[in-house]
Amino acid sequence: MMAQDPDTSSTERLIAALSADVPPIPPRFIGRRIALGIAGGGVVSIGLVFALFGMRPDFPQAMFGFSFWMKWAYTLSLGLIAVAATVRLARPEGGSLRMLWPLALPILLLAALAIEEMIRTPMRDWLSMWLGGSWNRCPWRVLLLAVPIFLGLLWSFRKLAPTNLRAAGAAAGLAAGAWAATIYCLHCDEFAAVFVLTWYSLGILLATGLGALLGPRVLRW
Amino acid sequence: MRHSEAELRAWMTAGLDGDAAAHAALLRALVPLLRGFFRRRMRGDEDIEDLVQETLIAIHTKRGTYDRDRPFTAWLYAVARYRLIDHLRRRRVSVPIEEVEAILITEGFEEAVTSRLDIERLLSGLSGKQARAIRDTHLEGLSVAEAAEGARIGQSDVKVSVHRGLKALAARLRGHE
Repeated sequence: MMAQDPDTSSTERLIAALSADVPPIPPRFIGRRIALGIAGGGVVSIGLVFALFGMRPDFPQAMFGFSFWMKWAYTLSLGLIAVAATVRLARPEGGSLRMLWPLALPILLLAALAIEEMIRTPMRDWLSMWLGGSWNRCPWRVLLLAVPIFLGLLWSFRKLAPTNLRAAGAAAGLAAGAWAATIYCLHCDEFAAVFVLTWYSLGILLATGLGALLGPRVLRW
Repeated sequence: MRHSEAELRAWMTAGLDGDAAAHAALLRALVPLLRGFFRRRMRGDEDIEDLVQETLIAIHTKRGTYDRDRPFTAWLYAVARYRLIDHLRRRRVSVPIEEVEAILITEGFEEAVTSRLDIERLLSGLSGKQARAIRDTHLEGLSVAEAAEGARIGQSDVKVSVHRGLKALAARLRGHE
Protein backbone atom coordinates (compact mmCIF):
# COMPACT_ATOMS: atom_id res chain seq x y z
CA MET A 1 0.00 0.00 0.00
CA MET A 2 1.21 3.51 -0.80
CA ALA A 3 2.14 5.87 2.01
CA GLN A 4 -0.57 8.49 2.46
CA ASP A 5 0.18 12.17 2.81
CA PRO A 6 -1.12 13.83 5.99
CA ASP A 7 -3.93 15.75 4.20
CA THR A 8 -5.38 12.61 2.71
CA SER A 9 -5.37 10.73 5.99
CA SER A 10 -6.99 13.67 7.81
CA THR A 11 -9.73 13.67 5.18
CA GLU A 12 -10.14 9.95 5.72
CA ARG A 13 -10.41 10.51 9.50
CA LEU A 14 -13.01 13.23 8.90
CA ILE A 15 -15.12 10.88 6.78
CA ALA A 16 -14.95 8.22 9.50
CA ALA A 17 -16.03 10.76 12.14
CA LEU A 18 -18.91 12.09 10.01
CA SER A 19 -20.12 8.59 9.19
CA ALA A 20 -20.33 7.72 12.88
CA ASP A 21 -23.45 9.88 13.14
CA VAL A 22 -25.95 9.30 10.32
CA PRO A 23 -29.48 9.78 11.65
CA PRO A 24 -32.28 9.05 9.16
CA ILE A 25 -33.85 12.12 7.52
CA PRO A 26 -37.63 12.11 7.04
CA PRO A 27 -38.98 12.91 3.57
CA ARG A 28 -39.98 16.54 2.97
CA PHE A 29 -37.49 17.57 5.63
CA ILE A 30 -37.21 21.20 4.46
CA GLY A 31 -40.97 21.78 4.54
CA ARG A 32 -41.31 20.23 8.01
CA ARG A 33 -38.42 22.23 9.39
CA ILE A 34 -39.78 25.53 8.02
CA ALA A 35 -43.31 24.77 9.20
CA LEU A 36 -41.96 24.00 12.67
CA GLY A 37 -39.96 27.24 12.79
CA ILE A 38 -42.98 29.31 11.75
CA ALA A 39 -45.25 27.51 14.21
CA GLY A 40 -42.79 28.03 17.08
CA GLY A 41 -42.41 31.73 16.32
CA GLY A 42 -46.16 32.02 15.66
CA VAL A 43 -47.00 30.80 19.17
CA VAL A 44 -44.82 33.58 20.60
CA SER A 45 -46.48 36.14 18.30
CA ILE A 46 -49.97 35.01 19.38
CA GLY A 47 -48.83 35.42 23.00
CA LEU A 48 -47.64 38.94 22.15
CA VAL A 49 -51.02 39.84 20.61
CA PHE A 50 -52.82 38.76 23.79
CA ALA A 51 -50.32 40.46 26.09
CA LEU A 52 -49.87 43.75 24.22
CA PHE A 53 -53.00 44.41 22.14
CA GLY A 54 -55.72 42.03 23.36
CA MET A 55 -58.14 40.01 21.31
CA ARG A 56 -60.74 42.04 19.43
CA PRO A 57 -63.82 42.11 21.71
CA ASP A 58 -66.21 41.00 18.98
CA PHE A 59 -64.01 38.10 17.88
CA PRO A 60 -66.68 35.34 17.97
CA GLN A 61 -69.15 37.39 15.89
CA ALA A 62 -66.40 38.63 13.58
CA MET A 63 -65.62 35.02 12.68
CA PHE A 64 -68.91 35.02 10.78
CA GLY A 65 -68.28 38.31 9.00
CA PHE A 66 -66.97 38.93 5.51
CA SER A 67 -64.17 41.36 6.34
CA PHE A 68 -62.47 38.96 8.78
CA TRP A 69 -62.26 36.25 6.14
CA MET A 70 -61.25 38.71 3.45
CA LYS A 71 -58.27 39.70 5.60
CA TRP A 72 -57.37 36.12 6.40
CA ALA A 73 -57.71 34.97 2.80
CA TYR A 74 -55.31 37.75 1.81
CA THR A 75 -52.67 37.22 4.50
CA LEU A 76 -52.90 33.41 4.42
CA SER A 77 -52.44 33.22 0.66
CA LEU A 78 -49.42 35.54 0.89
CA GLY A 79 -48.10 33.34 3.71
CA LEU A 80 -48.46 30.12 1.73
CA ILE A 81 -46.83 31.54 -1.39
CA ALA A 82 -43.98 32.92 0.73
CA VAL A 83 -43.45 29.54 2.44
CA ALA A 84 -43.28 27.80 -0.95
CA ALA A 85 -40.61 30.28 -2.08
CA THR A 86 -38.70 29.91 1.21
CA VAL A 87 -38.67 26.11 0.89
CA ARG A 88 -37.30 26.42 -2.61
CA LEU A 89 -34.62 28.95 -1.65
CA ALA A 90 -33.54 26.76 1.29
CA ARG A 91 -32.08 24.25 -1.18
CA PRO A 92 -28.56 24.90 -2.44
CA GLU A 93 -29.73 24.79 -6.07
CA GLY A 94 -31.98 27.67 -5.06
CA GLY A 95 -34.38 29.46 -7.28
CA SER A 96 -35.16 33.08 -7.81
CA LEU A 97 -37.68 35.47 -6.34
CA ARG A 98 -39.45 35.22 -9.68
CA MET A 99 -41.36 32.33 -8.15
CA LEU A 100 -43.23 34.92 -6.08
CA TRP A 101 -45.29 36.01 -9.09
CA PRO A 102 -48.46 34.20 -7.81
CA LEU A 103 -48.55 36.97 -5.17
CA ALA A 104 -50.10 39.10 -7.91
CA LEU A 105 -53.34 37.10 -7.67
CA PRO A 106 -54.33 37.89 -4.05
CA ILE A 107 -53.06 41.46 -4.41
CA LEU A 108 -55.13 42.08 -7.55
CA LEU A 109 -58.19 40.41 -6.03
CA LEU A 110 -57.96 42.59 -2.93
CA ALA A 111 -57.40 45.67 -5.12
CA ALA A 112 -60.54 44.83 -7.08
CA LEU A 113 -62.46 44.50 -3.81
CA ALA A 114 -61.07 47.84 -2.62
CA ILE A 115 -62.21 49.58 -5.83
CA GLU A 116 -65.62 48.02 -5.59
CA GLU A 117 -65.89 49.21 -1.97
CA MET A 118 -64.88 52.74 -2.88
CA ILE A 119 -67.46 52.92 -5.66
CA ARG A 120 -70.14 52.07 -3.10
CA THR A 121 -68.84 54.68 -0.63
CA PRO A 122 -69.35 58.46 -0.91
CA MET A 123 -66.11 60.21 -1.75
CA ARG A 124 -66.04 62.23 1.48
CA ASP A 125 -65.66 58.98 3.47
CA TRP A 126 -62.76 57.64 1.40
CA LEU A 127 -60.05 59.10 3.61
CA SER A 128 -61.48 57.71 6.85
CA MET A 129 -61.99 54.35 5.18
CA TRP A 130 -58.40 54.30 3.96
CA LEU A 131 -56.84 55.40 7.28
CA GLY A 132 -59.27 53.51 9.54
CA GLY A 133 -58.54 53.96 13.23
CA SER A 134 -55.08 52.45 13.33
CA TRP A 135 -53.22 53.13 10.08
CA ASN A 136 -50.20 54.52 11.90
CA ARG A 137 -49.90 51.52 14.26
CA CYS A 138 -50.83 48.61 11.99
CA PRO A 139 -47.62 48.31 9.88
CA TRP A 140 -45.34 48.54 12.94
CA ARG A 141 -47.34 45.96 14.86
CA VAL A 142 -47.22 43.56 11.94
CA LEU A 143 -43.45 44.10 11.80
CA LEU A 144 -43.12 43.50 15.55
CA LEU A 145 -45.13 40.27 15.38
CA ALA A 146 -42.98 39.16 12.43
CA VAL A 147 -39.83 39.20 14.57
CA PRO A 148 -40.47 35.97 16.55
CA ILE A 149 -41.53 34.19 13.37
CA PHE A 150 -38.40 35.36 11.59
CA LEU A 151 -36.33 34.09 14.52
CA GLY A 152 -38.15 30.76 14.26
CA LEU A 153 -37.21 30.65 10.58
CA LEU A 154 -33.58 31.37 11.44
CA TRP A 155 -33.70 28.27 13.63
CA SER A 156 -35.14 26.33 10.65
CA PHE A 157 -32.36 27.58 8.39
CA ARG A 158 -29.62 26.27 10.68
CA LYS A 159 -30.10 22.87 9.05
CA LEU A 160 -30.89 24.26 5.59
CA ALA A 161 -28.61 25.38 2.79
CA PRO A 162 -29.60 28.62 1.06
CA THR A 163 -27.05 29.87 -1.45
CA ASN A 164 -28.81 33.04 -2.57
CA LEU A 165 -28.84 34.57 0.90
CA ARG A 166 -30.51 37.86 0.04
CA ALA A 167 -33.39 36.19 -1.79
CA ALA A 168 -33.78 33.58 0.96
CA GLY A 169 -33.78 36.34 3.59
CA ALA A 170 -36.43 38.27 1.66
CA ALA A 171 -38.62 35.18 1.26
CA ALA A 172 -38.27 34.36 4.98
CA GLY A 173 -39.11 37.99 5.86
CA LEU A 174 -42.15 37.87 3.60
CA ALA A 175 -43.31 34.62 5.19
CA ALA A 176 -42.77 36.03 8.68
CA GLY A 177 -44.63 39.23 7.77
CA ALA A 178 -47.58 37.46 6.16
CA TRP A 179 -48.04 35.05 9.09
CA ALA A 180 -47.62 37.94 11.54
CA ALA A 181 -50.39 39.80 9.69
CA THR A 182 -52.57 36.69 9.90
CA ILE A 183 -52.05 36.63 13.66
CA TYR A 184 -52.62 40.37 14.00
CA CYS A 185 -56.13 39.81 12.58
CA LEU A 186 -57.01 38.37 16.01
CA HIS A 187 -56.79 41.91 17.38
CA CYS A 188 -57.41 44.26 14.48
CA ASP A 189 -61.03 45.20 13.75
CA GLU A 190 -60.42 47.27 10.63
CA PHE A 191 -62.71 46.16 7.84
CA ALA A 192 -61.96 48.13 4.66
CA ALA A 193 -60.20 46.30 1.83
CA VAL A 194 -58.25 49.44 0.95
CA PHE A 195 -56.98 49.61 4.55
CA VAL A 196 -55.71 46.02 4.44
CA LEU A 197 -54.26 46.49 0.98
CA THR A 198 -52.25 49.49 2.12
CA TRP A 199 -51.28 49.10 5.77
CA TYR A 200 -51.11 45.33 6.16
CA SER A 201 -49.14 45.11 2.93
CA LEU A 202 -46.82 47.87 4.15
CA GLY A 203 -46.06 45.95 7.36
CA ILE A 204 -45.42 42.77 5.37
CA LEU A 205 -43.22 44.72 2.96
CA LEU A 206 -41.19 46.12 5.87
CA ALA A 207 -40.61 42.58 7.16
CA THR A 208 -39.58 41.46 3.66
CA GLY A 209 -37.12 44.34 3.33
CA LEU A 210 -35.64 43.63 6.74
CA GLY A 211 -35.24 39.96 5.79
CA ALA A 212 -33.48 40.90 2.55
CA LEU A 213 -31.20 43.25 4.49
CA LEU A 214 -30.29 40.69 7.15
CA GLY A 215 -30.22 37.57 4.94
CA PRO A 216 -26.58 37.76 3.80
CA ARG A 217 -25.42 38.13 7.44
CA VAL A 218 -27.68 35.79 9.36
CA LEU A 219 -28.15 32.98 6.84
CA ARG A 220 -24.47 32.28 6.15
CA TRP A 221 -23.24 28.75 6.73
CA MET B 1 -12.37 6.22 -10.50
CA ARG B 2 -15.47 8.13 -11.46
CA HIS B 3 -18.85 7.12 -10.13
CA SER B 4 -22.08 7.64 -11.99
CA GLU B 5 -24.90 9.89 -10.91
CA ALA B 6 -27.06 6.82 -10.27
CA GLU B 7 -24.45 5.27 -7.97
CA LEU B 8 -23.86 8.46 -5.97
CA ARG B 9 -27.58 9.04 -5.69
CA ALA B 10 -28.21 5.50 -4.43
CA TRP B 11 -25.60 6.01 -1.68
CA MET B 12 -27.03 9.40 -0.82
CA THR B 13 -30.61 8.15 -0.45
CA ALA B 14 -29.46 5.12 1.55
CA GLY B 15 -27.55 7.54 3.81
CA LEU B 16 -30.71 9.63 4.23
CA ASP B 17 -32.46 6.47 5.38
CA GLY B 18 -29.78 6.07 8.06
CA ASP B 19 -27.31 3.72 6.33
CA ALA B 20 -23.94 4.83 7.74
CA ALA B 21 -21.88 2.57 5.46
CA ALA B 22 -23.51 4.01 2.34
CA HIS B 23 -22.93 7.52 3.68
CA ALA B 24 -19.23 6.78 4.20
CA ALA B 25 -18.99 5.27 0.71
CA LEU B 26 -20.58 8.40 -0.72
CA LEU B 27 -18.22 10.79 1.07
CA ARG B 28 -15.20 8.70 0.02
CA ALA B 29 -16.34 8.67 -3.62
CA LEU B 30 -16.84 12.45 -3.54
CA VAL B 31 -13.27 13.26 -2.41
CA PRO B 32 -11.57 12.91 -5.85
CA LEU B 33 -14.53 14.58 -7.53
CA LEU B 34 -14.33 17.60 -5.22
CA ARG B 35 -10.53 17.80 -5.47
CA GLY B 36 -10.88 18.03 -9.25
CA PHE B 37 -13.68 20.57 -8.98
CA PHE B 38 -11.71 22.92 -6.71
CA ARG B 39 -8.37 22.40 -8.45
CA ARG B 40 -9.87 23.54 -11.75
CA ARG B 41 -11.18 26.73 -10.12
CA MET B 42 -8.38 27.76 -7.75
CA ARG B 43 -4.88 29.02 -8.32
CA GLY B 44 -2.58 27.64 -5.54
CA ASP B 45 -2.93 24.10 -4.25
CA GLU B 46 -2.68 24.75 -0.52
CA ASP B 47 -6.35 25.45 0.21
CA ILE B 48 -7.85 22.63 -1.80
CA GLU B 49 -7.83 19.95 0.90
CA ASP B 50 -9.37 22.45 3.38
CA LEU B 51 -12.12 23.18 0.89
CA VAL B 52 -12.71 19.50 0.25
CA GLN B 53 -13.07 18.90 3.99
CA GLU B 54 -15.34 21.91 4.51
CA THR B 55 -17.51 20.69 1.66
CA LEU B 56 -17.69 17.16 3.09
CA ILE B 57 -18.85 18.63 6.40
CA ALA B 58 -21.45 20.75 4.60
CA ILE B 59 -22.69 17.75 2.63
CA HIS B 60 -23.05 15.87 5.91
CA THR B 61 -24.74 18.59 7.98
CA LYS B 62 -26.97 19.87 5.18
CA ARG B 63 -27.90 16.50 3.71
CA GLY B 64 -31.54 17.07 4.71
CA THR B 65 -31.81 19.65 1.91
CA TYR B 66 -31.26 17.02 -0.77
CA ASP B 67 -34.58 16.06 -2.32
CA ARG B 68 -34.61 12.34 -3.22
CA ASP B 69 -36.47 13.09 -6.46
CA ARG B 70 -33.90 15.52 -7.86
CA PRO B 71 -30.50 15.00 -9.54
CA PHE B 72 -27.76 14.49 -6.97
CA THR B 73 -24.85 16.07 -8.84
CA ALA B 74 -26.72 19.36 -9.26
CA TRP B 75 -27.18 19.47 -5.47
CA LEU B 76 -23.56 18.48 -4.89
CA TYR B 77 -22.06 21.13 -7.16
CA ALA B 78 -24.40 23.77 -5.74
CA VAL B 79 -23.01 23.02 -2.25
CA ALA B 80 -19.41 22.91 -3.52
CA ARG B 81 -19.90 26.17 -5.41
CA TYR B 82 -21.25 27.88 -2.29
CA ARG B 83 -18.30 26.64 -0.19
CA LEU B 84 -15.90 27.92 -2.85
CA ILE B 85 -17.56 31.35 -3.03
CA ASP B 86 -17.61 31.59 0.77
CA HIS B 87 -13.94 30.57 0.94
CA LEU B 88 -12.93 33.20 -1.62
CA ARG B 89 -15.03 35.83 0.14
CA ARG B 90 -13.22 35.13 3.42
CA ARG B 91 -9.90 35.56 1.62
CA ARG B 92 -11.30 38.74 0.06
CA VAL B 93 -10.52 37.43 -3.40
CA SER B 94 -13.07 38.19 -6.05
CA VAL B 95 -13.25 35.58 -8.78
CA PRO B 96 -16.30 35.06 -10.96
CA ILE B 97 -17.68 31.53 -10.52
CA GLU B 98 -19.99 30.07 -13.13
CA GLU B 99 -23.61 29.24 -12.48
CA VAL B 100 -24.51 25.69 -11.47
CA GLU B 101 -25.84 24.85 -14.97
CA ALA B 102 -22.51 25.79 -16.54
CA ILE B 103 -20.65 23.76 -13.90
CA LEU B 104 -22.75 20.72 -14.69
CA ILE B 105 -21.99 21.05 -18.39
CA THR B 106 -18.24 21.51 -17.81
CA GLU B 107 -17.92 18.76 -15.23
CA GLY B 108 -20.06 16.41 -17.30
CA PHE B 109 -18.01 17.30 -20.36
CA GLU B 110 -14.72 16.56 -18.66
CA GLU B 111 -16.05 13.34 -17.24
CA ALA B 112 -17.27 12.15 -20.61
CA VAL B 113 -14.14 13.25 -22.43
CA THR B 114 -11.63 11.73 -20.02
CA SER B 115 -13.51 8.49 -19.89
CA ARG B 116 -14.25 7.69 -23.48
CA LEU B 117 -13.85 10.27 -26.17
CA ASP B 118 -11.12 11.87 -28.15
CA ILE B 119 -11.19 15.60 -27.49
CA GLU B 120 -9.83 16.71 -30.84
CA ARG B 121 -12.33 14.64 -32.75
CA LEU B 122 -15.13 16.17 -30.69
CA LEU B 123 -13.91 19.73 -31.11
CA SER B 124 -13.60 19.26 -34.86
CA GLY B 125 -17.39 19.09 -35.00
CA LEU B 126 -17.66 22.68 -33.75
CA SER B 127 -17.08 25.97 -35.52
CA GLY B 128 -13.45 27.10 -35.54
CA LYS B 129 -14.10 29.93 -33.12
CA GLN B 130 -15.94 27.77 -30.58
CA ALA B 131 -13.33 25.01 -30.78
CA ARG B 132 -10.50 27.47 -30.22
CA ALA B 133 -12.27 29.20 -27.33
CA ILE B 134 -12.87 25.87 -25.56
CA ARG B 135 -9.35 24.61 -26.25
CA ASP B 136 -7.81 27.83 -24.90
CA THR B 137 -9.91 28.21 -21.77
CA HIS B 138 -10.58 24.59 -20.80
CA LEU B 139 -7.60 22.62 -22.09
CA GLU B 140 -4.74 25.15 -22.23
CA GLY B 141 -5.85 26.84 -19.03
CA LEU B 142 -5.78 30.39 -20.41
CA SER B 143 -7.94 33.08 -18.82
CA VAL B 144 -10.80 34.52 -20.84
CA ALA B 145 -8.83 37.74 -21.33
CA GLU B 146 -5.79 35.86 -22.63
CA ALA B 147 -7.92 33.76 -24.95
CA ALA B 148 -9.67 36.85 -26.29
CA GLU B 149 -6.36 38.58 -26.98
CA GLY B 150 -4.91 35.53 -28.70
CA ALA B 151 -7.90 35.08 -30.97
CA ARG B 152 -8.31 38.87 -31.49
CA ILE B 153 -11.97 38.77 -30.44
CA GLY B 154 -13.88 40.30 -27.54
CA GLN B 155 -14.00 38.68 -24.08
CA SER B 156 -17.76 38.32 -24.20
CA ASP B 157 -17.35 36.66 -27.59
CA VAL B 158 -15.02 34.10 -25.97
CA LYS B 159 -17.48 33.46 -23.16
CA VAL B 160 -20.40 33.05 -25.53
CA SER B 161 -18.38 30.75 -27.80
CA VAL B 162 -17.34 28.58 -24.86
CA HIS B 163 -20.86 28.43 -23.54
CA ARG B 164 -22.46 27.58 -26.88
CA GLY B 165 -19.71 25.16 -27.79
CA LEU B 166 -19.94 23.27 -24.48
CA LYS B 167 -23.68 23.13 -24.76
CA ALA B 168 -23.43 21.66 -28.27
CA LEU B 169 -20.84 19.16 -27.07
CA ALA B 170 -22.88 18.21 -24.04
CA ALA B 171 -25.88 17.60 -26.29
CA ARG B 172 -23.78 15.45 -28.60
CA LEU B 173 -22.21 13.48 -25.72
CA ARG B 174 -25.63 12.79 -24.32
CA GLY B 175 -26.69 11.60 -27.75
CA HIS B 176 -23.77 9.14 -27.79
CA GLU B 177 -24.72 7.51 -24.51
